[in-house]
Amino acid sequence: MSHRSSLRRMPYWLLSPAVLATLIVVFYPMLQAGITSLYYNVLWKPKAVRFIGFDNYLSIAQDPVFWASLGRTALWIGITVPLQLLLGFVTALLLNQQFRWRTLARSLILIPWALPSVVIGLMWSWIYHPQVGLLNDLLLRVGLLNTAIPWLASPDTALYSIIAALVWQGFPFFAIMILAGLQTIPANLYEAAEIDGATTWQQFVEITLPGLKSVLVTAVMLRIIWVANSMDVIYVMTGGGPGYATHTLPLYAFKRTYSSMDFGYGSALAVTFSALLLGFIVLYLRRVGKGME
Amino acid sequence: MKKICRHGIAIAFGLLGLMGSPAWAQTPVNFWYHFDNPESTKLMDDLVSAFESKNPGIKVKAENVPWNNYYDKLFTSIVGGKAPDVAMVKLAQQPQLLEMGALEPIDKMVASWPGKDDLGNNLLEINKGPDGKQYYLPLQYVVVYLYYRADLFAKAGLEPPATCEAFLDAAKKLTLPASANNGVEQFGFGMRGGKGGYDNWGPFVLSQSDFTPGGMTSAKAISANTWYVDLFRKHKVSPPSAPNDGFNEIISTFKSGRTAMIFHHIGSSKTMVAAFGDKVSAVPAPSCNGGRWTSFGDESTALFKSSKNKEAAWKWMAFLSEGENNVKFNQATGQMTVTRSGAEKAAFEPRFIKATVDSLPFAKTLPAVPQSADFVNTVWPVNMQRALTGEITPEQMMTAFDKHYSTK
Repeated sequence: MSHRSSLRRMPYWLLSPAVLATLIVVFYPMLQAGITSLYYNVLWKPKAVRFIGFDNYLSIAQDPVFWASLGRTALWIGITVPLQLLLGFVTALLLNQQFRWRTLARSLILIPWALPSVVIGLMWSWIYHPQVGLLNDLLLRVGLLNTAIPWLASPDTALYSIIAALVWQGFPFFAIMILAGLQTIPANLYEAAEIDGATTWQQFVEITLPGLKSVLVTAVMLRIIWVANSMDVIYVMTGGGPGYATHTLPLYAFKRTYSSMDFGYGSALAVTFSALLLGFIVLYLRRVGKGME
Repeated sequence: MKKICRHGIAIAFGLLGLMGSPAWAQTPVNFWYHFDNPESTKLMDDLVSAFESKNPGIKVKAENVPWNNYYDKLFTSIVGGKAPDVAMVKLAQQPQLLEMGALEPIDKMVASWPGKDDLGNNLLEINKGPDGKQYYLPLQYVVVYLYYRADLFAKAGLEPPATCEAFLDAAKKLTLPASANNGVEQFGFGMRGGKGGYDNWGPFVLSQSDFTPGGMTSAKAISANTWYVDLFRKHKVSPPSAPNDGFNEIISTFKSGRTAMIFHHIGSSKTMVAAFGDKVSAVPAPSCNGGRWTSFGDESTALFKSSKNKEAAWKWMAFLSEGENNVKFNQATGQMTVTRSGAEKAAFEPRFIKATVDSLPFAKTLPAVPQSADFVNTVWPVNMQRALTGEITPEQMMTAFDKHYSTK
């Protein structure tokens, strides 16, 4: 009897280190951030720290920078992820063909994904530089431009320029995931379709896409979360400027917390953003992920 | 099993005792500093061992903390009760550190310290706290001045600018389209509109305004700021990337010969000379409508109230600000030594030392209030960039500064 009950408890014992680690490393800081967000807490004013309930959240609702950053975050995700998906899809379809050097091409495609974000940020900010940058130089030489464009210094182009860099960084992730997905689709489905007289396009829509659904849903969800939270490339390329032109919500929260040392308000921003993102992901899974395991 | 445990514990304690005993005899001093170049930490190791051989009872633990999160780490450690004994600090953070009640006054120690007479140029005075007490012991300083391309000025028949008007005139004449300059677009002034650029803006605007309520929104102050924004928007004497340009950008465009004037300090003089030799020189920032302002940049050491070994910690601070040691410290940071005896040995070209010393009479820091740190880090860059890109007017920019400094 006692032997059996100890056997029954076994899985819990085995799981407990992982659960404990998650509790300490993930849930405790989350809880702490939630608590901090209810305080007036500016790091260098330790004597003035006090509980203020939801005042930080009320200020957020009236903070124009918050709303503008929220809008930019929506643009940021809404443009970056679909473009990465599209580019990744095309790349995966190409890499799935038979051609010479295919293995080499498959490994080369991973380079942008493997580079550290800081390197990517620095590299692209020099590419965009109006005086010494490659992009302006090329466009001037072919005659598409008359004068150099300050891509990162103009509020109209700064965000889109960073998005382009991020698309470049992230598309290999989709390419590799989709490529793996493509290889799980049985070849005999295509053979059968061919015999039935289906066109290439019909094969793509009726076999390839449904076969990739689960991969796509998961990959898109992961990318939405990563892109939403990623601010390292923005931070390196513009630091959020010029003005607020490239502030996304996580970057705004970061700057409020670490540049202004306003931990209470910064935490409230972070909590608000996490809640919004969580809501969005739940909605996404409900609608898109229907019928999936 | 239990027996093994007990033995293990006994052995562990024994080992701890063995390892710990020499350390207990020595007084530890924890020191935080930041060197941009990790290679330079070797110089710090040399300083530490030189100090320890002179003071065998003291063990210095010097930690190079990355600059990017130096202050949030320092502030967090103070709040958490784990502050170092001594740390390298800037004047801009002094009001915040005082507000936190973190600093120990060092007036008495300085008074009986022989090294104080060797400190140059009023440096102790500049570093005094807002309450008149001494908390900071100077380590290094720099003053922002104007680098200019002597060859380009001579070719255009221009003198280095001494006033705002002369500055604008020179900037206009030295701004050349690519077609008139061998295919390379040239700009008169490499404006720093991004982070850290308040020391480019200060000579033109802070020379004609002040930080008292209304001092930023007077007609004179607003017209000075409009003049500065016009350099970029109307006269276009600065590269189009100016709103985002920081240290690396202004230095690299100047060194590639695409700008004729930039503001920086003696710290970059060696690379300038390496790039241009005699074709680069420097003058103090121009005066504007009779006012003159330039930024005084500093690093000092401060003693923390929470330190348990204040006497040993003070010895280490004093050591770093004395003659040879301070010269060595400044080899690592590339800035000016604070001692008179060391200044003679400083390895800078005389024209840059002259521009630095000539700038000292009107070199100032931002007001010693807690708002200044946030002003430098976020309020100034965000508003400057918005004004340069036309999102807000120069007047709205000054109003934002006035508001920032007048709210508690």
